[in-house]
Amino acid sequence: MRVWQPGSHLVQQRAVKVDDWSWAATKRRLRALYRLASPYKGRTALAIASLLLATAVSLAPPFLIGRAIDEVRNGRTHALGWIVVAFVAAGGLGIACSYAQTYFTGWTGERMLADLRNHLFRHLQRLSLGFYERNRAGVLISRLTNDVEALDQLVTDGVTSLVQNSLTLLGSAVVLFLLSWKLALATLVVIPLLLAGTAAFRKRSSRSYRGVREKLGAVTATLAEDIAGMRVLQAFTRERAARDHFRRVSEEYRRKNHETVVQNALYFPFVDLLSSIATAVVLGYGGYLVFDGDVTIGVLAAFLGYLTNFFDPVQQLSQLYSTFLSAVAALDKIMDVLEEEPDVEDAGGARELPRVRGHVRFESVRFAYGTGPEVLHGIDLDVPPGTTVALVGHTGAGKSTIAKLIARFYDPTAGRITIDGEDLRNVRQESLRRQLGIVPQEGFLFAGTVAENIAFGRPEATREEIAAAARAVGADEFVDRLEQGYDTQLGERGFRLSLGQRQLVAFARALLADPRILILDEATSSVDIGTEQKIERALRRLLHGRTAFIIAHRLSTIRDAGTIVVLEHGRIVEQGSHDELLARQGRYAELYGSWAADVA
Amino acid sequence: MTRAEPRNARTFVRLLGFLRPYKLSLVVSVLLAFASQAGSLTFPWLTGDVVHAIQAGERHRLPLLIGVVVAVGVAKALATVGRRLISGNQALGVELDLRNALYAKFVRLSFGYYDRHQTGQLMSRATVDLQAVRFFLGYGLIFFFQHVFTVVGVAVLVFVISWKLALVALAVAPAMVLLAYRYSRVSHPVLRDVQQKMADVATVAEENVVGVHVVKSFAQEQAEQDKFERRSEALFGQSVRANRQRAFYVPVLSFLPLLGQAAVILAGGRMVAHGSLSLADFVRFNLYLSLLIFPLRMLGMWVGEGQRATASGERIFQVVDEPEEIGDAPEAHELPPGPGRVRFEHVSFGYDPARPVLRDVDLELEPGRTVALIGHTGAGKTTLASLIPRFYDVQEGRVLVDGEDVRDLTLASLRREIGVIAQDPFLFSATVRENLAFGRPEATDEELARAARLAQAHEFVERLPEGYDTVIGERGITLSGGQRQRLAIARALVLDPRILILDDATASVDAATEAKIRVGLREAMRGRTTVIIAHRLSTIALADEVVVLEGGRVAARGGHEELIDGSPVYREIWEHGRLERQVAEQEVA
Repeated sequence: MRVWQPGSHLVQQRAVKVDDWSWAATKRRLRALYRLASPYKGRTALAIASLLLATAVSLAPPFLIGRAIDEVRNGRTHALGWIVVAFVAAGGLGIACSYAQTYFTGWTGERMLADLRNHLFRHLQRLSLGFYERNRAGVLISRLTNDVEALDQLVTDGVTSLVQNSLTLLGSAVVLFLLSWKLALATLVVIPLLLAGTAAFRKRSSRSYRGVREKLGAVTATLAEDIAGMRVLQAFTRERAARDHFRRVSEEYRRKNHETVVQNALYFPFVDLLSSIATAVVLGYGGYLVFDGDVTIGVLAAFLGYLTNFFDPVQQLSQLYSTFLSAVAALDKIMDVLEEEPDVEDAGGARELPRVRGHVRFESVRFAYGTGPEVLHGIDLDVPPGTTVALVGHTGAGKSTIAKLIARFYDPTAGRITIDGEDLRNVRQESLRRQLGIVPQEGFLFAGTVAENIAFGRPEATREEIAAAARAVGADEFVDRLEQGYDTQLGERGFRLSLGQRQLVAFARALLADPRILILDEATSSVDIGTEQKIERALRRLLHGRTAFIIAHRLSTIRDAGTIVVLEHGRIVEQGSHDELLARQGRYAELYGSWAADVA
Repeated sequence: MTRAEPRNARTFVRLLGFLRPYKLSLVVSVLLAFASQAGSLTFPWLTGDVVHAIQAGERHRLPLLIGVVVAVGVAKALATVGRRLISGNQALGVELDLRNALYAKFVRLSFGYYDRHQTGQLMSRATVDLQAVRFFLGYGLIFFFQHVFTVVGVAVLVFVISWKLALVALAVAPAMVLLAYRYSRVSHPVLRDVQQKMADVATVAEENVVGVHVVKSFAQEQAEQDKFERRSEALFGQSVRANRQRAFYVPVLSFLPLLGQAAVILAGGRMVAHGSLSLADFVRFNLYLSLLIFPLRMLGMWVGEGQRATASGERIFQVVDEPEEIGDAPEAHELPPGPGRVRFEHVSFGYDPARPVLRDVDLELEPGRTVALIGHTGAGKTTLASLIPRFYDVQEGRVLVDGEDVRDLTLASLRREIGVIAQDPFLFSATVRENLAFGRPEATDEELARAARLAQAHEFVERLPEGYDTVIGERGITLSGGQRQRLAIARALVLDPRILILDDATASVDAATEAKIRVGLREAMRGRTTVIIAHRLSTIALADEVVVLEGGRVAARGGHEELIDGSPVYREIWEHGRLERQVAEQEVA
């Protein structure tokens, strides 16, 4: 497994496709959102209440200004005092409501997202390795990061904006009718035009934005890969070709984006023009109504104020639409992951596995990955406690599959595996894995100190225990030479260890966890002789007194193993000690002969 | 947009430089923006005229005024269409220019730079930072001008209507500016911290996905979950803090103009009663003040955007200003044909000049011969080899290829003749064919297959679902370490280079495959100068000669006979290998 995946931690901007608007899909989304919000019903209610109130209050000023104009016109300046008081009071109430509304929606929204993030993480941890092998790391990481962020925009700003704008729109319309239904009807003749224009814009714009996101995804992917592979690119003098390619990708993005520029350039001035026409109607028709004494000048002024309230939300809502689409797409993707069931799950009556001696048995085990072809065809194997088993064979013979089955990362498709007579399917995974030590080929290190990495399997270990484990595998030498010893930061932002050093840390980690059964995928990379010898010594120390399965590559490891199992195409073809197998002059002797020649 | 530090101001001015190619379109779009805003400013005035006409009973004037409103509306819309088309194109153009410029810079930066910087960091310059800059340069500036124009226009007009009332109305303006400034000041560090907390969450997410094997193996799901939730909660806490700031400042900022308006109603109403202000002017005044609410609220936002763009611009300029350590000299010439002789003359080098890795290395590699570089980790093997293709420049001495100082040659002609196979090969998400032909896109299928055969890659490539057309990498099929390594070897062989550098290239393939590759390599090395960095005796055996490096110096060189007595390092390797062989031979026999 490669640790570094180009661009995995970067924005994975995939095309957003929300074509499923069926009731079932919508219900699924709504139910998910409801489940997220339901623990915070009280705050959600407060948020909604304050939002309603804030919006209602914001409708007051134009009306009050209209009243003020009428009072002034009629020479009743003493009434102005009350209007001003109402004006300021509306403003003050507006501040309080906006504060409450921003605070409560923000709090609830962020809380829901944190819950979702935590829930998603917990779920991902439950999923089996099979899931991780089917899905790319970059995609899974982006579920936890980018997709949750996309929802953020909807949950915090989007919903507020949606409700607020819709309410302002409706409220303004209602007030217009209350002030003068004749003038309101006349003004709102522009509405059909507005609706038709908006619908057309929305359709085109969402299609274009999808294209833009696709192209931007291509730009990002190209960039990520080229930066990660810059050394190769330069070593092979591909700078010019790469630059030309990037320019092309970049240009495609620009061209696609140009579509949205044109759409916006037509739509927004169109809304603006409708608003000017509505103003003309108010002034013209309203003017005649004033002459006829139907309405007052103050009502005219108020009408102009409410018109702004009416057209601004229309524009805002159109802009919100693409945010909304991205968020729905993100929600769908997150729910897909959440609905994924683990391949391997604890059975209903699963028991704790008591501390084992380490007697491992395979009984006619067959296995296939998912619906793929069978890769193990009836494995029978009996490993007494304390034995070291070297698994030997070509790539694809089934060595790692056997190792994964012992750790129960998968369940066999037929037959069974027992440890101390206990079928693995009947024990709790956690109690099994606590007694297993698995050392993968590449010692994966976490961002954190050396000590934290060694104590990974037993976080409660004392500094003395950590140092003892490091000493036992001979890792203490280089750790002591590090500037901050065991407190040196490792990982992406920290110090980089060499392959051999990483291997030693991984050994110390396994030793400290003190597993009963050890599964080890021996690193194939050769390191320099000094380190090599250290690793051999560390390995011997680690194997002592445990049942161990080693996917072996070093001759010395294979020779030292109590039992050697030779696999070929998913079957055990030979089994026995080194000497026995050599004497048999079979497949193993053949393999060994070729290795020995290689060493020369 | 005042800036405390002159450095910020300089960055800002430099950012404006990106608009230079769009000077004309910038001027036109600003003028169009002014035109449409001027249109908006006529509406309250016309409304006043309507009020005046009504009061004076001049019914016949209404149609004319309405006609003017519609005409202005149409003109305004047209101006906006033009402005949006022009400025939209300009924004896209600026983005394209910036991105291409940054990429061109990335390609020119040398290995040393990539040693010091992480991919993720560089990526974020080209994505997040670039977005911030283009958003500001493309739209922000125009909106900013537009709002300033509106504010100034309204201020002038209200003074024209009644300077006394104007003073009353604008009394709140200083408070607003102050508050907007304060908001951008206090929110900045909090928002930045939110970003940081997001990155922290992403780090744990990434580790747990990539290292899921380890987490599950040690049954540490619970501990990792706790870690994730701690960071997730920290992000929540900080987001709520940012939210609370917004909850306070934004409503207060929109409340202040209401205060001004309340004062105007009170004072203006009395002025109308006293006859010092007409009703029409009173209506106009109020409508003008309403026009101010939006731009004033946005002003704070644009100041913030400007700050963000400047900060991002600074990060982009950091990359752009990075000196290009390795580049063609002005007088550089092509590498002439030659046999592939490599000479190191008293070469000293350190990634950090204060800590030399190579000290006074003097070494000549004969054409067509194979040299194995051996030595302990940190002895300088890889470093020495990477000086030949000039991935780094020496600090002292010089490196010669066929008698030419590599610094006098064009990089393209030099690297074209050197095939490099790194320890951990990087392949691109492309077809096998494209990967193999990476250094020589014009190579024929036969040439590719031939190189693949030599590298023992042909067989497994043929077995891939679509053979040489199979897409590999992040978006395709995942290959094993050994398979990637063999493709990397084939990729270098396609170049048909004069010089071949193998950095522990067969380290991660199993012994049987390695043996096969070795056969191919022996063939491939024929007639080329080859440098092999190796630990295994079997690989060292490919070499005509061994060079032992110790502490950055050549400790010994020669054949087996000389070194077995002369070099402890060599003896160590040899003894180890011999032991293995002896045991093996005894048993097989």
